Amino acid sequence: MKPDELTIVVCGGGLAGSLAALALANALSPDVRIVHVSDSGEPADDFLYGSATAPDCHNFLHALGLDERTLLLESNTAFSYGTDFRQWAAPEPWMLCHHAPFPAPDGIPLRHFLTRTGAALAPLLISAQAAALGRFAHPPENPQHPLSRAEYGYQFVPDEWAELADRLAAGSRIERIREDLAGVERHGDLIRAVRTATGKSVCGDLFIDASGQNRHCLGPLSSQFRTTRRIRARVERSATPHLGPPCRMVEATASGWSATTQLQDSQLKIHIDASSDDDTAPESLPFSLGRLDEAWVGNCVGVGHAAWAVEPLTPAPMMLLQRDIERLLELVPASKNMAVERREYNRRFNNDLKHVGLFHDALYRPGSPHVGAFAPPDLANSPPEALQRKITQFENRGALVSYDLDPFNEEDWTQNHIGMGRSPRRHDRQLDAISLEQAEQTLATLRTSVEQVASRMPPHHVYLARFKAYLEKPRHA
Amino acid sequence: MPEDRSRSIKNIVIVGGGSAGWMTAAALSSMLPAEAVRIVLVESDQIGTVGVGEATIPDVLNFNAMLGIPEAEFLRETNGTFKFGIQFVDWGRMGETYFHPFGPIGVDMNGIDFHQYWLRSEADRPNSRIEDFSLAAQAAKNGRFAPPAPDPRSVLSQLRYAYHFDATAYAAYLRRYAEARGVQRREGIVTEVHQNGETGFLTAVELEDGTQLKGDLFFDCSGFRGRLIEQVLDVAFTDWSHWLVCDTAQAVACESSGALLPYTIATAKQAGWQWRIPTRERTGNGHIYASHWMDDDAAISSLLAGLDGQPLGEPRKIRFRTGHRQRLWEKNCIAIGLSGGFLEPLESTSLFLIQEGISKFLALFPSADMPESVRKEYNRQLVKKFEQVRDFIVLHYKATERDDSALWKYCRNMDIPDTLAERIALFREAGRIFRYEDELFGKTSWIAVMLGQNIRPRTVDPIVATVAPSEIARSLQSMTTAMSRAVAAMPTHQAFLQKFAWAA
Repeated sequence: MKPDELTIVVCGGGLAGSLAALALANALSPDVRIVHVSDSGEPADDFLYGSATAPDCHNFLHALGLDERTLLLESNTAFSYGTDFRQWAAPEPWMLCHHAPFPAPDGIPLRHFLTRTGAALAPLLISAQAAALGRFAHPPENPQHPLSRAEYGYQFVPDEWAELADRLAAGSRIERIREDLAGVERHGDLIRAVRTATGKSVCGDLFIDASGQNRHCLGPLSSQFRTTRRIRARVERSATPHLGPPCRMVEATASGWSATTQLQDSQLKIHIDASSDDDTAPESLPFSLGRLDEAWVGNCVGVGHAAWAVEPLTPAPMMLLQRDIERLLELVPASKNMAVERREYNRRFNNDLKHVGLFHDALYRPGSPHVGAFAPPDLANSPPEALQRKITQFENRGALVSYDLDPFNEEDWTQNHIGMGRSPRRHDRQLDAISLEQAEQTLATLRTSVEQVASRMPPHHVYLARFKAYLEKPRHA
Repeated sequence: MPEDRSRSIKNIVIVGGGSAGWMTAAALSSMLPAEAVRIVLVESDQIGTVGVGEATIPDVLNFNAMLGIPEAEFLRETNGTFKFGIQFVDWGRMGETYFHPFGPIGVDMNGIDFHQYWLRSEADRPNSRIEDFSLAAQAAKNGRFAPPAPDPRSVLSQLRYAYHFDATAYAAYLRRYAEARGVQRREGIVTEVHQNGETGFLTAVELEDGTQLKGDLFFDCSGFRGRLIEQVLDVAFTDWSHWLVCDTAQAVACESSGALLPYTIATAKQAGWQWRIPTRERTGNGHIYASHWMDDDAAISSLLAGLDGQPLGEPRKIRFRTGHRQRLWEKNCIAIGLSGGFLEPLESTSLFLIQEGISKFLALFPSADMPESVRKEYNRQLVKKFEQVRDFIVLHYKATERDDSALWKYCRNMDIPDTLAERIALFREAGRIFRYEDELFGKTSWIAVMLGQNIRPRTVDPIVATVAPSEIARSLQSMTTAMSRAVAAMPTHQAFLQKFAWAA
């Protein structure tokens, strides 16, 4: 038996709407009609998808037809080894970099060597070291080469990527209606159609709400958005003489934090500030962090900021948007009664939001510099059970409690713990077989090889310019 | 931060030997320095253990690895053999057989699960079975074994395996291991248990000869009687017998015959099912049944009729209750093994549940005052494990078209846990299956059993609807070719064991 023939209506433009429409059109059979309703503008909160991705975004975009060549040649996208945290929990900067599984000398996890010797982590990690030196090169195929352990994501601007996706969509079977959304027509608990500004009715079976915090479709269905805190955010872009380092920089400020992203022709700076009632700064956008209880209500699924809003402190917003779309593709209803798909979608939505929440929560405790000005309101409470477990186990014996389905991997968590000043009380007993001198020697060898490789890599802007020239040669056209 | 020595655990008492007791003793002795923590295990030769031929799942490898046990030595000492999965006979319908393999089935392509492609093209290949795309299942059916290859590009890298072995020999082996690491064994029967008058915490167990063994922490590994958790602490039992109606087993070993199979066989019977577990020199057999619908004599004759070699001794009867203690950790006592709960070994999870009981304890290792928060977390995690395994086992009983006996009529019509009902609904809709957090049985296991017992999706997943079946057929063909080649190059199970373990 074949799945029911559906009409899916994607509501709202910008990054979430454009990527969702493109992904659905690519993945589903022509029996499924895809309509995308949005004017050309993007939701004002799109810049809060942040400006960096995790490494696995590459495959997601590639499958949509947004390959690296397109991203580099047709937008200002640059490479990203991770995020450089400044004045964050410690006076010294520290890196949260993308890295393949850390080396484990003699089969013993690297973190135990650090506990034993008191050595620092970043100089042992090729992506952290290269980022600090402002250098970049693609990882080689050879798994023996130290650079093969470096993983990278992108630094990007959401509106540029939305435009690339729109351009691809223009040549596809997506029916685009370039009009603003004005409202929805309901039939009981379901949406029957969306109405456009000129009074057009667009009927459908499944509606994807990608209208950001406007929640044009989900709003009327009375799905509850739980605000955890209100912030104000603004973004500024300034030209730079040449491309900066292959990493974002997050810096604590007096009233919040800022993130600086390096793009090919410019620098993007996002400012996040605590919101106050008398705050009237006109150029900054009020933004409510939080999430819907359920992202799929009736026949409407919220993707991106329509369903959740998290601080762009890490690549988390882009990770979540990607997961929203992947989850949607895996659960496109096979029939018009979509109860089974809805329950499963919401279960997984919950899981993803929970994990991201834990990782961000861990970046505020303990030792966050913002305890006065920008402490999350629940920081005074003890951490959620699942986070408490991670912290206690790490502090006790350097054990990493990992939950599967966590979008942040063990390497991310190790750097989070160490960066935030958590240190194990004792090292693993396996290490007792090795003398302190041997342990130090092992680390020294590793450090030297990382240093040597990093110092031979070209600067980010030089590499990118050369790589673009290579991509532009006719044989790659 | 220095550890507060005054509040750390210094004395641990384990009541009961057997697999549960000695696994606990071995694991604790490998993790805790003997000079800091004294571990005593009390057991009595007068009280038998339930150990028979034991089948396991791949997680057992982690337990042995944690203890640093060399694999070849372990296999020699326990008459162990390898296992690639379980063959199920007569479950969905009489006369039908399917295989639940370890490791993946097929290769996921373009981010879409393999089984979706298989379902999409099923109509074109009427005799195809999904297990044809499992390397483990193919090797198993051909009586062959090879360990997983370390090179991820090799098709052999996807192999996963477990063991069959003699549980009594395993306990004896772990006893030597634990005693070498300072665990003291005391022969004797616990006659009295002392508690703190105020808190109810256990303070000591007293043996027949009047010896008192004091402890900060007690493990109840006394089997079904629950010498501490039930007889002293009186922790209630969550009964699942309405979902899992079998309550009795008859077990007997027989002489081995034929080739040494690298898999367990579970055959559905009139009022239950029968297992076959091949170890090195003998085959373990057991018949699990619902006493409500079958008497012991009928169960024994069914068991003996199903043997493929001469029985070695009389069948031994075991009565059990399916479910778990509401709290596996109560005050300063942790129930591990049968005292904590029981689920029939249809998916070979008995040792796994013991292992979980131990490893979750080690992960949460408490101070001597046993904070409530730690106990609560332990109980939450363990109960969740029991529930996960329960759902998977109940699936085997529920997904059947058999109506040839009262047991099967009951099972196919019974209400099932909501969590399981939801999984089945999701699969029936479009063949979708997703991993739950921290889940023991992965997608492959659910798919193998659901398809093996004829739960068919109503429609193909919209995501593969666009792919032409002919394209899929080509990919599938190349997968089977690669797998057949790999299987043909493997040694037989017997030959591999001979060289790897027995020859030394």
